[in-house]
Amino acid sequence: MLDSYLPIITLIVIALCFSIGSVIFSRLIGEKKPTAIKLSPYECGMPPVGSARERFSIKFYIIAMLFIVFDIEVVFMYPWAVMFKRLGLFGFVEMGVFILILLVGYAYVWKKGALEWE
Amino acid sequence: MTTALFYILGIILLAATLMCITRRNPVHAVIYLVAGFFALALMFYLLGAPLVAAWEVIVYAGAIMVLFLFIIMMLGLAPQEVPEGPGWQRWLPLALLSASLMACTLLLILEDPAAGQKVGGFYLAPQALGEALFGRYAMAVEMVSFQLLFATIGAYLLGRPLPKGEDQ
Repeated sequence: MLDSYLPIITLIVIALCFSIGSVIFSRLIGEKKPTAIKLSPYECGMPPVGSARERFSIKFYIIAMLFIVFDIEVVFMYPWAVMFKRLGLFGFVEMGVFILILLVGYAYVWKKGALEWE
Repeated sequence: MTTALFYILGIILLAATLMCITRRNPVHAVIYLVAGFFALALMFYLLGAPLVAAWEVIVYAGAIMVLFLFIIMMLGLAPQEVPEGPGWQRWLPLALLSASLMACTLLLILEDPAAGQKVGGFYLAPQALGEALFGRYAMAVEMVSFQLLFATIGAYLLGRPLPKGEDQ
């Protein structure tokens, strides 16, 4: 039974070795000539414009809420997908109606421009 | 063994939640909340509901946590001063919680990959859930769809730009 976990354990070990190893080796063999410019914080290669602790637009929040709605939709798809063949046409139609109702909401917010980012 | 793990997970969950509600920095609180979600996910797995455990991670640790973070970003809280002392000391509780969660997961895998069937002697296979949801509870699923539709429109209404000429 443990064999089925072997790939993921191998992956975890490789990921750990790579992440810890690259930090240690770059510290050991990397050249360090720090200057004031090199040590200063930067954002996207530019000097920082101001504090990052500002109030953010509510648009982020709307996107997050819409994301959760469609996340929940996918949650219902997992138990449907594993039983897709057995549920047959009834299950297919039911999932179709489920998605259609959600598509109405999606079309509404799209039409209203909630997904626009100007 | 699984019963012991269940209680250990309960302690981790309580500790993470206590840390969450006592943190002054809201972002730190969210991080402890996520640790609690992971403990809860393992608990669901132990109780014999692997799909619910996966949802706990996907929906709660993945999506609900983002919602909390965006609320914090929207509130525009006053900047917090960084407390004295080395950084590892501040993160020690979280590191301990995460390490014990990891240990619990490994124990669960090493002892018996099918351990979920033991506590309570109950196991909910994803297939059985699918059959119940899309057979007996077909109507409920469609109603959930309507709820999600309301949520979509509600989310838009909450954040819509004010119509012209309207104050507050």
